[in-house]
Amino acid sequence: MSGASAVRISIESACEKQVQEVGLDGSETYLQPLSMSQNLARLAQRIDFSQGSGSEEDEPGPGGRDWASPGDAEDEEGLVKFQPSLWPWDSVRNSLRSALTETCVLYDVLGILKDKKFMTLDPVVQDPPPPKQNPQFLQLISKKKSLAGAAQILLKGAERLSKSVAENQENKRQRDFNSELLRLRQHWKLRKVGDKILGDLSYRSAGSLFPHHGTFEVIKNTDIDLDKKIPEDYCPLDVQIPSDLEGSAYIKVSIQKQAPDIGDLGTVNLFKRPLPKSKPAAEVKLLIHLSLPAENQVRLLFQFQLCTFYEIEIFGAPHWQTKLEAAQNVLLCKEIFAQLSREAVQIKSQIPHIVVKNQIISQPFPGLQLSISLCHSSNDKKSQKSASDRQSPEDHLYVLEHNLHQLIREFHKQTLSSTVMPHPASAPFGHKRMKLAGPQAFDKNDINSLQSNEGLLEKIIKQAKHIFLRRRTARTIDSLASRIEDPQIQAHWSNINDVYESSVKVLITSQGYEQICKSIQLQLNIGVEQIRVVHRDGRVITLSHQEQELQDFLLSQMSQHQVHAVQQLAKVMGWHVLSFSNHVGLGPVESIGNASAITVASPNGDYAISGSISFDCDHKMYLRVRFSSCFLLESISRY
Amino acid sequence: MEAPPVTMMPVTGGTINMMEYLLQGSVLDQSLESLLHRLRGLCDNMEPETFLDHEMVFLLKGQQASPFVLRARRSMDKTGMPWHLRYLGQPEIGDKNRHALVRNCVDIATSENLTDFLVEMGFRMDHEFVAKGHVFRKGIMKIVVYKIFRILMPGNTESIEPLSLSYLVELSVVAPAGQDMVSDDMRNFAEQLKPLVHLEKIDPKRLM
Repeated sequence: MSGASAVRISIESACEKQVQEVGLDGSETYLQPLSMSQNLARLAQRIDFSQGSGSEEDEPGPGGRDWASPGDAEDEEGLVKFQPSLWPWDSVRNSLRSALTETCVLYDVLGILKDKKFMTLDPVVQDPPPPKQNPQFLQLISKKKSLAGAAQILLKGAERLSKSVAENQENKRQRDFNSELLRLRQHWKLRKVGDKILGDLSYRSAGSLFPHHGTFEVIKNTDIDLDKKIPEDYCPLDVQIPSDLEGSAYIKVSIQKQAPDIGDLGTVNLFKRPLPKSKPAAEVKLLIHLSLPAENQVRLLFQFQLCTFYEIEIFGAPHWQTKLEAAQNVLLCKEIFAQLSREAVQIKSQIPHIVVKNQIISQPFPGLQLSISLCHSSNDKKSQKSASDRQSPEDHLYVLEHNLHQLIREFHKQTLSSTVMPHPASAPFGHKRMKLAGPQAFDKNDINSLQSNEGLLEKIIKQAKHIFLRRRTARTIDSLASRIEDPQIQAHWSNINDVYESSVKVLITSQGYEQICKSIQLQLNIGVEQIRVVHRDGRVITLSHQEQELQDFLLSQMSQHQVHAVQQLAKVMGWHVLSFSNHVGLGPVESIGNASAITVASPNGDYAISGSISFDCDHKMYLRVRFSSCFLLESISRY
Repeated sequence: MEAPPVTMMPVTGGTINMMEYLLQGSVLDQSLESLLHRLRGLCDNMEPETFLDHEMVFLLKGQQASPFVLRARRSMDKTGMPWHLRYLGQPEIGDKNRHALVRNCVDIATSENLTDFLVEMGFRMDHEFVAKGHVFRKGIMKIVVYKIFRILMPGNTESIEPLSLSYLVELSVVAPAGQDMVSDDMRNFAEQLKPLVHLEKIDPKRLM
């Protein structure tokens, strides 16, 4: 504290004495400062040995930190309190002793370690290695693991893809159904009832009054196995048709000779027609569209066949379309037949029409029967196959079948257009002319003319009569033409016909003498019941439907022509015609009519020839010639 | 139902004993188009027709308290159509099973000198109006949508003015008596027009 250097430095504590208390009088009582030893003991007590020994356990190396670092002043009182009765250095000694013990142990350990005999020091490994394994095997496992991970990802992706593909397909199918439905909607009337979609096959909107409801149901046809191959003609939309409209049907019209036995009529005609599947429907479809005039039917039919194929191509024959068309055809045929049979029962004719099951029989001419039958082939194969054998396919009158369809369409149109809106609006519905009947005081005939409406059956019978008459006329002319070679007979049929009328021009000529002798021209107008013959000079002769009448008439015309030809020839040759008669009342009795006769004289008057022309029972034409002057000779020359 | 004063015998049998089944409603002018559109879709496939009619209502006061009413109607836009004379009986509301108003009706087409004839008989004209609108048909049902015009000068059908800003809608069927089935069809049809127009049995007595 005190030194003998040049500079005196006095060191003292900043505060010599701590003030213990200040008295009321201002006198301060001081604490006695600690002696050197006391101060040392106090400082030594402040050493925190525990801190040092604690860190010693953690760290391997010797050397306690903080040996000399002064402890916190705050602990001072705690320590004092802890060991109040002990010797002041006791804690220090204890701490030092335990430190020594530990140092000794450390020394020993280090000594043993140095030999590396019993103990070694290894760096500490954080994770103990897994049980001993082959490094290659390890690699394999890790590779496998990563591969499996990759596979998992790929599989997941694939699954997602396939799911979306399936979904797409399902969507597509759904869309297909909708688009099919849209197409269906374009051709057919549909409506939704509850959760069903119903369609209308009937012709009611076109004017039909047939009571059949004609409803079909639209079905979603999606219960198809996704895995299996979808068939080519798969369609997601299907239709269910009422059972009585299934199959195919057509109306068969034929003219036959009187049936031998009416008893088995009912069983006739339910036969199956061997036709391609889609054909009948398309046919009828076309029939409906065609509204050509009824004339020229052969050509019409031809067109009709052509268009049938065309039609099929257009539609690509989707399943439901053909199905529906077939069903609609069945419905239409049923309607036609129902209408015909109703009329057959209602109409009072001289020979009543017979309605037996699916056949209507009428007698247009004596000995002849017109049969109209509804042939509906459902899937019943057994149904009367023998009937088809019995009836040859030629006796179909396709024209009449077609006309029946056309007539029913006209009938529909009529019902649709005949109902005009009433004016004034409060008036009831009905025909305008009927309403005028009262105000304009119609008489009974006027009213009857309003009401008489020719039915389908009457029209078709008339048409059948006409067709029959036309056919028979043609046959008569043809057979005459083939049997009689001289004079020749030619028939020119007109192409332009009406359903009730057609015409033919008949020419009678002598071959080789056309220049000399004018041919006879006849115009035959064939009607429903009779044939009107118009001569070139305007004379009109009406013939009945009897075949014989026409034949006789034509034969008489031919004989007249023949006489005329002889006359003309005689003139050309310079002979004189002495007498001439188309119908001579003399001579032997002819089987048909009278003979025509002519007498000619030679230019110098020496000879006279008289000839008569007649027909015998075989319709052969005979010319009898007599030479008058020197000798009589009867020669029969056959033409 | 009062009997006609001319013949005291009840009219029975044949087509004469007809009943008119009627449902009525009305639409405002602005919703007419949508109603017509709907009707065109629902009704029979015919050309939509308009009409312009002149109706005169004639009364004959007899001994009875209520006068005898006849309606004479003629078309103004279509020529050559006969006049229409109509007798309408007292409407019957009926019970809930019948969905339409029913009244006896007799329709006769007549010549154009009908008014003279009626006047000669002792009828006098009560009122007249012009009806202009559209007529539709569905089966036997007749749907008439029209506006009534007041005639400003009696006898002159040129000067007219609309009575209201709405159109009258009538659904009617003329059927033989006792065929109440038709009212079911009418109800079904009226249901299909539902949001656009409400057709109901309207008792004219209650409105008076």
